[in-house]
Amino acid sequence: MSSTTRPDRPAVRRRARLSLAFKQAAFGLAIILPTLAILAIFRFFPMLQALYLSLTAYDLVHPPKFVGLANFAGLLEDPLFLKSARVSLTYVLFSVVPVLPLSLGLAVLFNRSVFIRNLLRSAIFMPVVMPAVVMAVVWTFMYQQDGVVNTILGGLGIDPIPWLRSSSTALWAVILIGIWRATPYYMVIFLAGLQAVPADYYDAAKIDGAGSWKTFWHITLPLLKPTTLLVVVMNVIVAMKVFAVPMIMTGGGPADSTRVLPLFIYQTAFEFFDMGRAAAMSVFLFVGVMLFSVIQVRLFTRGDESR
Amino acid sequence: MTNSARRAAVPSARWVGQPRRWKRRALRLRGKIVVSCVLATVACVTLLPFYWMFSSSLRTMDTMFSLPIQWIPSPPNWSSYALAWQAQDFTRYFLNSGFVAVTITLSNLLLCSLAGYSLTKFHYRGRGVMFLAILSTMMLPLEVTMVPLFLIIKRLDWANSYQGLIVPFLVDGFGVFLMRQYMMSIPKDLIDSARIDGASEFRIFWTIVLPLCKPALVALAVFTFREAWDMYIWPLIIITKDALRTLPLGISLFMSSYGTSWDQLMAIAVLGTLPMILLFFFLQRAFIQGIAATGLKE
Repeated sequence: MSSTTRPDRPAVRRRARLSLAFKQAAFGLAIILPTLAILAIFRFFPMLQALYLSLTAYDLVHPPKFVGLANFAGLLEDPLFLKSARVSLTYVLFSVVPVLPLSLGLAVLFNRSVFIRNLLRSAIFMPVVMPAVVMAVVWTFMYQQDGVVNTILGGLGIDPIPWLRSSSTALWAVILIGIWRATPYYMVIFLAGLQAVPADYYDAAKIDGAGSWKTFWHITLPLLKPTTLLVVVMNVIVAMKVFAVPMIMTGGGPADSTRVLPLFIYQTAFEFFDMGRAAAMSVFLFVGVMLFSVIQVRLFTRGDESR
Repeated sequence: MTNSARRAAVPSARWVGQPRRWKRRALRLRGKIVVSCVLATVACVTLLPFYWMFSSSLRTMDTMFSLPIQWIPSPPNWSSYALAWQAQDFTRYFLNSGFVAVTITLSNLLLCSLAGYSLTKFHYRGRGVMFLAILSTMMLPLEVTMVPLFLIIKRLDWANSYQGLIVPFLVDGFGVFLMRQYMMSIPKDLIDSARIDGASEFRIFWTIVLPLCKPALVALAVFTFREAWDMYIWPLIIITKDALRTLPLGISLFMSSYGTSWDQLMAIAVLGTLPMILLFFFLQRAFIQGIAATGLKE
């Protein structure tokens, strides 16, 4: 090799490295592009359009007409909407609160030594496997006046309950199913959280003479705090979106007692073709979901800064 | 040697702790039995709807509500399955659901892992913002965006089409998050050394990165398939043609038109759950890991 080319070499190399880095970045961008495009078109754009539609009157036939905040004002005075919001809040509250101790309790029990552990865990997990529509059909059958639920309750000396036919019980019937399905799901998440607790902690507590209740209260529970928060948030979001079960089981009745917000949005948009009003309701639902999603996103990105 | 002779032969101190240890073991066994019984009772509650669905599908309509409860119908009446299956085009609904769910699952596996790979192993401007944008789509569930999304699909002329059922769900923000978290643990050196060996970028992804992600991929697949198989509100909105109905739509339609033929309804319910049950039994670990992964934070 001649000595004249030598001074050029590092520059060439640097240029080669630069173009290589550029090529790599280009590849990195290229492979994330389809994801960004799909999410932009089918998630972000519809959200923007929902915000726009909520300010219009639109019946799918005539072009959207700008009406300002009239939809929102109308909703806040609409007893049906207020009732629907109340039903949704009741559903969320009572299908989230009981699931927490139930799923955590089951997870704690499974974390001890148990006979036929895997079999029992699979059995309790089964509700997660049942499709929502099937669940609605099967429970409608079980909730019949002379159905199996009332038969079993009769065996315990309880009078038959008109589960889905009375406006005072229908929502509770729907909530019970929500609990039946959600508990095993969050049990699995809690179990994963419990198994991540280092065994040393328990050994140390044992040496210090802490009983199992004290150990749970002072060690397990504080360590499970992030998991618990996540479970609450996920569960609230899922509960806010409930649709298939009330839609199929009751259609929102009797006397609007099970018309949760997503169901009301669906009916307003696709049965009454009032797109503007439905979009305004969606904005309300969005605010609810967002409040909790922000917590979820923060939990998910926790610890990212240290990387 | 008799028991008392043995006791005399060993230092007595060793025997002081023996009854206590035995007692402790008995206590532990009692605890184990109690816990197992509690869990078995809970299992009965979670399994009752499954059992009742199956046993009722084997009943005839005139013994459906007869008392006392006949827990095992005899003789079993299997005819409801064929009757229900032929009452509507369930073969078609089944195939539609399968096609839609499998396509959505495969596409999510590819796109989520590509995006996750990009977000963890490449450096470019705006990466952090892109990740946050993808993550924030979790705030935009279908229940919120269904009205405008329907308008978009209508404008694309995709109502009553497979594209309409599939394309909006080709990728999911949560799936990307899942893959990204998993791919963080893949050492960068591995990729760099493959680059030095002259492997192309795509080849590195396909033959080195993807195989390492197998546990996360299986979890994502199970999770996505379950959601897609379960999908109800979206097909309800955009599908009106019978030939394009998915299984959940078919089942709810069957419910509204044959509302009291409980034997046939339960038969269809059994058949609609069967794929998920089979999937669960073959991929039990992945299934549970897939759910547990939705709670992972690191």
